[in-house]
Amino acid sequence: MTIGRRRAVPEDVNAVSTPLDAPSARTAQPGFADVAADQLDAVFRYLVFLTGDRSAAEDLTAETFEKAFRTWRRFDPRRGSPRTWLCQIARTTAIDWFRAEARRKRREETYSRDFGQASELMDGLPGPLEQAVRELSPAEREVVALRVLLELDGPSAARVLGISQTACSTRLSRALKNLEERIDDVRE
Amino acid sequence: MSASNAIGHERLEALLAGDAPRTSDETRRVALLAQLRDATLSAPEALRSRVLATAPSRSRAFVRRPSRRLVFVVIPAAFALAATAAIVHGLTTGSSRPVSDGLIADAPHATAGQLGKVPPTFSGANTVTGSGGVRSAAPQAAIASPQTTLAPVGGTSRLQHTDASLQVRVSDVEHLSSATRAATRIATSLGGYAQSVDYTTPQGGNGTAFIELRVPAQNVQRALAQLAGLGTLVSQHVSVQDLQHTLQVQSEQIGQLRRRIAALQQALADRSLPDAQRVLLQIKLAESKRALAQRLNARTGTVTAGTTARISLVVSTEKSVVTPAHKRGHMSRMLHSALGFLGVEAMVALYALIVISPFAVLAGLAWALARARRRRDEKRLLTA
Repeated sequence: MTIGRRRAVPEDVNAVSTPLDAPSARTAQPGFADVAADQLDAVFRYLVFLTGDRSAAEDLTAETFEKAFRTWRRFDPRRGSPRTWLCQIARTTAIDWFRAEARRKRREETYSRDFGQASELMDGLPGPLEQAVRELSPAEREVVALRVLLELDGPSAARVLGISQTACSTRLSRALKNLEERIDDVRE
Repeated sequence: MSASNAIGHERLEALLAGDAPRTSDETRRVALLAQLRDATLSAPEALRSRVLATAPSRSRAFVRRPSRRLVFVVIPAAFALAATAAIVHGLTTGSSRPVSDGLIADAPHATAGQLGKVPPTFSGANTVTGSGGVRSAAPQAAIASPQTTLAPVGGTSRLQHTDASLQVRVSDVEHLSSATRAATRIATSLGGYAQSVDYTTPQGGNGTAFIELRVPAQNVQRALAQLAGLGTLVSQHVSVQDLQHTLQVQSEQIGQLRRRIAALQQALADRSLPDAQRVLLQIKLAESKRALAQRLNARTGTVTAGTTARISLVVSTEKSVVTPAHKRGHMSRMLHSALGFLGVEAMVALYALIVISPFAVLAGLAWALARARRRRDEKRLLTA
């Protein structure tokens, strides 16, 4: 299944390294298979959170790694971690998917996918919390995914989102506040 | 339970990093974060197999992309390269020996740069001019060497008129006087004469002598060499005008007039010629003789001009007559040449910048517009 159109991978996606998983430039270069095995779950979680749809996230994850493999030679570990680089590719892929969904909505005047009726987002996520997460916008969900689930630091997450670090913090703060409010609404 | 009040960015970052909560709001926020982190989600095995199947296990060499910091190396390197090129240019062009006594003898073969940066110019088909300045450190040696010349003068069988002007600087008024007398003596010794001498010594210890000399054409080179040795040669200007064509034209006209006169005289010798026609022929004969006399005078003047050279000599004690360019030393000339080359480089760079800048601005605007549009599109998609 081909989701969205192919886009070039951004040039500066890994310009900032993260202290969590950034490899040293002096260490041995990992193979793509090793990177894929290490980062597959993280990328999948990010896409599930971003799209709110596991099925779509699976396809997008596969497409993300296909793109990453094609551009693997351009990846420079000195400039950032593989996770940051993969998340940026995943985001570009997901945005293409959102764009395709929007076109389809305009064509059919309805979303083909209803996030509220989709399968559960993650295992072990309490019901009210999961429902509250679904009510967030994709932009809020993705910042929560990047900062909380994938534990990217501020600069790396801002780089992935293409915004400033302050804007990233603001968006995260607002997303968490909205999340708490929606949890309260669900419980009430 | 209400939502937590706004938590500052710094505190939020601290909580994300594992800092202990300080308030109830922070405690609630930490609990929320813990709930989110506790949730697990792994990629399905089918997806894992699908992804790993396409990924080769072997390591691939990374392509080292140039860092943006390379700009901080490239730009200084470009400036250094330009400066190096200018220095090399200065070394290669500025290291030419200044015109000196030794080059006086080689002046006919000297380059334009050696002749004070002013190349000999051809101001007409029959005229050659050249100018330059030299410094004579050993005037006596120059006088003693009659073979020395200052400019490409003579050396041809054609009739040529030489008009030269020299500026010579001497140290003081005493030397000015002796140099003036020596100039007259040089002209006389070479078969010429001093047409005029204007000797001025105003107050202040400086003085100037303007001397107009006439010397035979065959001795002009020797005259110039000896006159240049009277002091420090500041500048020279030599103009050679070819008179051969003029002489040839005048000779042909004279020949035609003589043939015409002979024909007229022969016709007038005919006694059967009518009086009216005889008068007409006599008038023509008189005109031809007058024209012949004019042509003969003109040819005499041409020959005289070709056999006598005019030399205008200015002997001065004023330092202001020294051309600054000739005061430059080796380093100064090299620096001047390098700076000139740098100026040319800057001019070329500026020209390229002027040509490229409109396109760069347009490209930048297009890029910014496309970026803004993409951002707006993404924001609309992700906030829906």
